[in-house]
Amino acid sequence: MIVKDWCSYCGECAGVCPRNLITVKEYSLEFKDDECKGCSTCIIACPISALEKE
Amino acid sequence: MIETDVLVVGAGPAGSTAAKHAALGGAKVILMDKKSEIGSPKRCAEGVSKKGLKKLGIEPNSRFIAKELDGVRLVSPNGTNVWMTSEEIELPEAGYILERKVFDKFMAMDAARAGAEIKIKTMATGVIKSDEGFIVTCESMGKEFDIKTKILIAADGPESHIGRWAGLKTAQKAVHMESGIQYEMCNLHFERDGVIEFYFGSCAPGGYVWVFPKGDDIANVGLAVIAPKANKPAIEYLDDFVSKSPITKDAQPVEINVGGDPVGGMPKKIYDDHIMVVGDAAGQVNPLTGGGIISGMTGGMYAGQVAAEAIKDEDYSAKYLKKYDSLVRDDIGEEIRKYSIVQEYLLTLSDEELDNIAAEFQNVNFSKVSTTQLIKSLIKVSPKAALKLGKIFL
Repeated sequence: MIVKDWCSYCGECAGVCPRNLITVKEYSLEFKDDECKGCSTCIIACPISALEKE
Repeated sequence: MIETDVLVVGAGPAGSTAAKHAALGGAKVILMDKKSEIGSPKRCAEGVSKKGLKKLGIEPNSRFIAKELDGVRLVSPNGTNVWMTSEEIELPEAGYILERKVFDKFMAMDAARAGAEIKIKTMATGVIKSDEGFIVTCESMGKEFDIKTKILIAADGPESHIGRWAGLKTAQKAVHMESGIQYEMCNLHFERDGVIEFYFGSCAPGGYVWVFPKGDDIANVGLAVIAPKANKPAIEYLDDFVSKSPITKDAQPVEINVGGDPVGGMPKKIYDDHIMVVGDAAGQVNPLTGGGIISGMTGGMYAGQVAAEAIKDEDYSAKYLKKYDSLVRDDIGEEIRKYSIVQEYLLTLSDEELDNIAAEFQNVNFSKVSTTQLIKSLIKVSPKAALKLGKIFL
């Protein structure tokens, strides 16, 4: 997952991830990419389009 | 290893309230938050009712109250206004717009004064179940350590990792997670002072636009959409609104806020052996308004009280902690359930139907403003609403 530099770490993506694969730190996002099935729920939910598939 | 009776993860209003009540009840409490500053950045439009604060025993303080409210304005897609302020009615909705950056700190300070220890900029990275409770792995400024706790209170917001790590199904479905975006702005041209404004319809699919006043020309201007129902990212809807609305045409932003709002109600199970989930993490949000400060703090209060009793009685079983579930559902469960049905109904209305309802509302005399009163009036003017909502509200 590509995290754009305008991400504000609000955690919306982490909340909607059905597999609980996204950890939001204060100023960074961590994805467990290897377990991601590519459902794109996080990308659609982001209010400011800060996520993009690699 | 650090050991404690009660560990609260997340120092938002729900977590701090839980920590306060657990400490007041005599438990050894640790309250931790991953951020460097409790209350910042805000993820919230900051509205609360006076009644709600009173119920929680919070004295209003000018340091955390930005504006006292004088009523409500509802606006339909074609611009029809429904005003419910002191000009129209005797008792307009009584509430405040808070300054969350101050309010949240004050709530955490209350917890600290009650005896809780606060760990700032400390993040929970994992949860391990043990016979005596939970071991929470933590990270703070390069240091890693574990905290062993008899009772874990998860107040970690819409992400709700803690509950999920502990095996509870606390995640909200994507259709129940509002995507929120907001500017705090100045240079607004309010038509009336101290009025919270709501704009409905295709300006915010699945949600609404809010303008919550924080000063003479200052407001939180924001909206929430249900992403699967929207055609574009939330921010594009907001920029459209701001450029078109007469009250925001000269407005300038001084802050942008983003965040998710879980409106799917409380999950079936928000407790288990050694754990209780509170606040946004437990869906303690009014699904119609998206408001969750008072309801989350209500959850926090009960969880804190039950945690303290459990520590005294040395019983941390799911069976004992079920008391938290009963208390919180008796208090706010029915309200969440009812407003969830209204929210589902609002989602079915077209812009034209909303305009018709607003037109009918011109002839209604509102004696007081409450959400229930509004819904009762809605049922009177709309046969479709009567069919869907009549049974629950009349």
